Amino acid sequence: MAMEEQKMTEKESLELISKMINKAKNNYHDSGIGPILWGSVITLCSLVTYFQIRFQFKLPFDIWLLTLIAIVPQVLIVAKEKKNNKVRSYDDHIMDAVWMCFGISIFLLIFINANIVKQLNPVFQTYIDVKGTRPEFNYSSFITSFFLLLYGIPTIITGSCRGMKPMLYGGIICWICCIISVYTKIEWDMLLTAFSAICAWLIPGIILWSRYKKMRTTNV
Amino acid sequence: MFKELDPILHSQLRLAVISLLISVKEAEFTFLKEKTNSTAGNLSVQINKLKDAGYIDVTKQFSNNYPQTICKITAKGIDAFEGYVKALQSYMNPNG
Repeated sequence: MAMEEQKMTEKESLELISKMINKAKNNYHDSGIGPILWGSVITLCSLVTYFQIRFQFKLPFDIWLLTLIAIVPQVLIVAKEKKNNKVRSYDDHIMDAVWMCFGISIFLLIFINANIVKQLNPVFQTYIDVKGTRPEFNYSSFITSFFLLLYGIPTIITGSCRGMKPMLYGGIICWICCIISVYTKIEWDMLLTAFSAICAWLIPGIILWSRYKKMRTTNV
Repeated sequence: MFKELDPILHSQLRLAVISLLISVKEAEFTFLKEKTNSTAGNLSVQINKLKDAGYIDVTKQFSNNYPQTICKITAKGIDAFEGYVKALQSYMNPNG
């Protein structure tokens, strides 16, 4: 008998509502490619920066430019996933807004820091001229703390909303590393950044990817 | 006194569609078909009934040269669903 003609009792109606709401809720499938991409890029950039400081060499270009290049595949991934998604939840909408704000905040933070450093440089130069030594205060060593603070916010929100514990723990690790980085030098800050990126994005991304692959194999 | 159950929603497939749409922002026809386990023809008829009642919005578009039907619950649909659930509760707990 077709679904339409069946008579329903009140209890059956409530059961049907609850069943359908659960079916819609359990429809979240993230391929994990985005977190893997950003986890890898940030880890690579941080480690290269660490080695540059540690072994006193300089690449002919700024390795962090990779993060700008990574925006291209990210946009393509999002466009492809949106096209393939048959449903768009309220959570998806919120997550998009959260990560969009995060991306913009990163650029704003870079802009703010560049301006602070620009204004501090003449002050430091005057200090060096008067005292003959470099000041102990190094603003650059605090920049990583701001970034780690920002990394943690969308990661924790995503981990909580999606019920993705590894991502939630990864976000918390970002904040723990943020506190540690206040007391460490830039080279160690880079290792903390790499560790945070691995915990917050790379590992959860790989977990999501393996789940997604398994789910697709079962559905075929 | 028992509240009357909305006849538009008191049908298995239409109720299933509305229950799915209440949980998401929007959904494709194929998603609703898959989750309700219904035939395309039957689902199409019921979606039209919900649309005519003003409970859902239906947008037809093309994606990769394939027709795509996207359904979204309206404010009227949300009100109707809430009213339906309240009416059900009054049947289940007549003293409540």
